[in-house]
Amino acid sequence: MSRWPLKNSAMFPPNPDFSITILSQTQLLKMVVELTRHITTLFNFSAPEAQKISLAIDEAVTNVIKHSYCNDSDQQITIEYFLAPGGVKIRIFYHGLPPEIADEEVNIGKMIKKKKKGGLGVKLMKTIMDTVVYKTIDGRNCCEMIKWQKSI
Amino acid sequence: MKNFQIRSKIVNGVAVLYLKGHLDAHQVARFEKEIVRLIRDSNFKIVINGQELNYITSAGMGIIMGYIDEVREKGGDIKLCSLAERVYETFDLVGFTEIYDFVADEQVAIEKFSHVPAQS
Repeated sequence: MSRWPLKNSAMFPPNPDFSITILSQTQLLKMVVELTRHITTLFNFSAPEAQKISLAIDEAVTNVIKHSYCNDSDQQITIEYFLAPGGVKIRIFYHGLPPEIADEEVNIGKMIKKKKKGGLGVKLMKTIMDTVVYKTIDGRNCCEMIKWQKSI
Repeated sequence: MKNFQIRSKIVNGVAVLYLKGHLDAHQVARFEKEIVRLIRDSNFKIVINGQELNYITSAGMGIIMGYIDEVREKGGDIKLCSLAERVYETFDLVGFTEIYDFVADEQVAIEKFSHVPAQS
């Protein structure tokens, strides 16, 4: 049973509580991780939950840099944080190509046989977050993720 | 201070890689370079000691996934040991803990290779 009885995305404010725009550079990933961990911890997520949410954001931003921007370090990525009692919604805006997201379950055994090094990031995102959706908002590509706090 | 450090040594014919710090997509090339160097030098018995590793993303895990088959084909393996709980949890989230050999202690990991002759 949830500590928060209502888990509805309509609970989130229309405008972000905090946003940041960064260049598409992997050296900035650690800063995004620390920022996300700080914000989610301040908003009562436990340290382990905050750590996992930060990891999901790291994976999403890494995907944008690698696949949408093809490692072009001069592009921009905007990250917006929406806070509601018991939950956080994070939107990552970018231009470029939308990532290829396979619907089927990731099969680690097959990936090993194919000597694949990628493909685990989306699995991590989907495992950690309650919702992961790729969509277009006002002409911009967006990865939207929601995480609700666990009951205590 | 560097965010990620890596060093290695050979113990009883087993290559032990010591990872320290924050391993993400920005740092992963150094990790891959070290794994490739070990394989090129015919070191197929590999232990990754993550005692001082405090963060890993799919980029780092992907390197292990990308080379494990080649290493096992040569009679070796990549074993992981001494991971902090939160790092172990990250491996567990993608199901690695069911496929790879995770050991609590470096010495135990090395000893598990003692009866395995590696091919060259």
